[in-house]
Amino acid sequence: MLKTALVFVSKRKLSFSKVKYLSPTANPQPQEKIQSFRSVEHDPLKHTYNHVGQFYNISKEDRNHLFNYGGLPKTYLTQAKTFNETCVMIRQPTIDVIECLKNIDYAKPAVRFVIYGKKGSGKSLSMAHILHYANRSNFLVVHVPWVGNWMRRCQEVSNSDTKEGFINLNVDAAAWLLHFKTQNSHLLEKEDLKIAQDYVWSKREKTEKGSPLLDIVNHGINRIKFASDCVVIIADEIKKLSNSGVCKTLVAIDGFNAFFYPNTRVFTEKKEKVHPHKVVITEAFLNLTKNDWKNSAVIVTVDEIAVAEEDQISHMPRYLLGKEGFEHLDPFVPIPMENYNQKEFKSVMDYYRDRRWITPYPGQDEEVSALSANNPYNLIKVCAPL
Amino acid sequence: MILRNLDKKCLLKTLERQFANNYATVTEAAKESREEFKALNLKHVKGQVVQKRAPRKLDVLPPRSKQMATDQDWGNVWPGPRTFHPSTVPLPIRQGYVEKGAPPDKYANAELMKIPNFLHLTPPIIKRQCEALKQFCTPWPKNLNTQEKLIENFPIEVTTSNYCLSSPSIRNPLARIVTLTIKVSSLSLKGAMDKFLRLVGERYNEKTDILTIVADRCPLRKQNYEYAMYLLTAVYHESLKVEPWENLKSEADMEYYNWEKNASKKSIEQIFGKPVEEIPNSKMYAEAVSNLMNEGESDYTIAKYGEAVRTLLNLPKTA
Repeated sequence: MLKTALVFVSKRKLSFSKVKYLSPTANPQPQEKIQSFRSVEHDPLKHTYNHVGQFYNISKEDRNHLFNYGGLPKTYLTQAKTFNETCVMIRQPTIDVIECLKNIDYAKPAVRFVIYGKKGSGKSLSMAHILHYANRSNFLVVHVPWVGNWMRRCQEVSNSDTKEGFINLNVDAAAWLLHFKTQNSHLLEKEDLKIAQDYVWSKREKTEKGSPLLDIVNHGINRIKFASDCVVIIADEIKKLSNSGVCKTLVAIDGFNAFFYPNTRVFTEKKEKVHPHKVVITEAFLNLTKNDWKNSAVIVTVDEIAVAEEDQISHMPRYLLGKEGFEHLDPFVPIPMENYNQKEFKSVMDYYRDRRWITPYPGQDEEVSALSANNPYNLIKVCAPL
Repeated sequence: MILRNLDKKCLLKTLERQFANNYATVTEAAKESREEFKALNLKHVKGQVVQKRAPRKLDVLPPRSKQMATDQDWGNVWPGPRTFHPSTVPLPIRQGYVEKGAPPDKYANAELMKIPNFLHLTPPIIKRQCEALKQFCTPWPKNLNTQEKLIENFPIEVTTSNYCLSSPSIRNPLARIVTLTIKVSSLSLKGAMDKFLRLVGERYNEKTDILTIVADRCPLRKQNYEYAMYLLTAVYHESLKVEPWENLKSEADMEYYNWEKNASKKSIEQIFGKPVEEIPNSKMYAEAVSNLMNEGESDYTIAKYGEAVRTLLNLPKTA
């Protein structure tokens, strides 16, 4: 019995010498059908309210450029890998922000946007879409994929040498510098981003005035000990450069409320809890989210997941930011991220069916809509076994 | 045995026939002499049986209500509070419940007697009594013609209750209770309002701005009234006191969000580089922030805040 089976298998192998696609998804189909859920416009610069509810494709190069070191949620990434394309839905709040970014008077102080919404409503993906837009329109992007990674799951902790009583997150800061470098590689290579003062790191190490910003980034990556200080310096230099009109900057921070949440999981050597304001890199990003500079825009998300589970009471920005955080950002433009509406939901389901991710059956949309309560994250979970 | 029985049967039959004949003749005779039939006198009572006299019917007067003149003075018929009396009230009143049929009428109706009535307070009687009392009254002040003026000049309102009851004592313990109400805005407590409200606690109604003090601890009404007035005076003066440590009150101790004193004002002044009064739409923004902070966060207040920020910073509105 076993023997015959083996023979059969070997025969099959022999008979298909070419590559065989196991599913139609993996098999690229030449003819393009007009599909209502797919946007014809894949350039975020040209997205308008007319495209709301449709999916657009982030090209592989752009994705590797922007989100190589984080920025897309894990669940979404797995799905993107399965579908063999990175399609993001164009959603109303995102377009709202992009429209605002197009209309901002950049000679005035930075406008702050706060994206808020329930868990899994698509805040981070909306942020990714905005980042894509910013990247295309030549913004210098200062992007923090998830502040929670620093305050709640930090890699390595050491006392700061430069600031008494402060804490360095060396590995995380260096990782961020790398992320920053990849995202802005095309801009950093230009000559005009130069630093405005000398920085002396140690007796032998020194970065002189007028050297490119990239030097500091590289220094932080190579000398992990100084990574946190580099982040602070870069933030400061970016502000100066933007103020002088050399570059336009977009600050995008996901899970911003973690900077104001005292119950962190960062501990000193004596196992004392560290307040986020006692972490060196916090200073850099609080500095960047102030409104005392121009040629810039700030987009942050506030998320329940960035705080400890016992404090996940409300998803509203005032609660999550606290008094201090609210005063720091005020006046900001609140951008609510809602669950899918009818049109968006239909679009997602059509997309899943097109990808052969779910097997259609009558009454499917209604049932899945009720089960997932139209929440994007829940929908992914509900559709996974279908 | 059988023979004997047969004989008996024959005998009975003949007897039966005889009795039938006799009965027929007797009934004929009895019909003629019925009047002479004697009454059965078992106890052998001597003398004649006395005939009972038929009871004399009393001449009952019709109820008074049926004799009343239509233009009578009702105040004289029913001058004071009194339990319902069916023949005095010329009204076809019914009260009560029976399973089938109409409610019982007014005669012998305990239900009607139980409930209090106001038959002594008909509108013409009240009018008449008021006319009679007028000679003891002074005229109403001419300038005090609106409710607002009344509250402004006489902010304190004292309420007591009198009880009218039929019992050995005319005193009612509830009559001692004195209720004092006052509109707090008439006290002109500017800085001391917060302390005043903390002192009076739940006696203050936020919706109507009325403070209510109920005094019932003393046995007499006068004492209670004086105690209520004392309480009001004491609370007022106590709240006006300023302790030295009160100057240490900081922003975090405030019980409500005051936009003028907060970072929000400073930050928009910093953005525009000029004082708040010169910034267009700053008032709307200030209102939105205060609402968000004081009323708490909700989709509505956040949306209002967002709108205000967009108009302040001149950003396009949401589609």
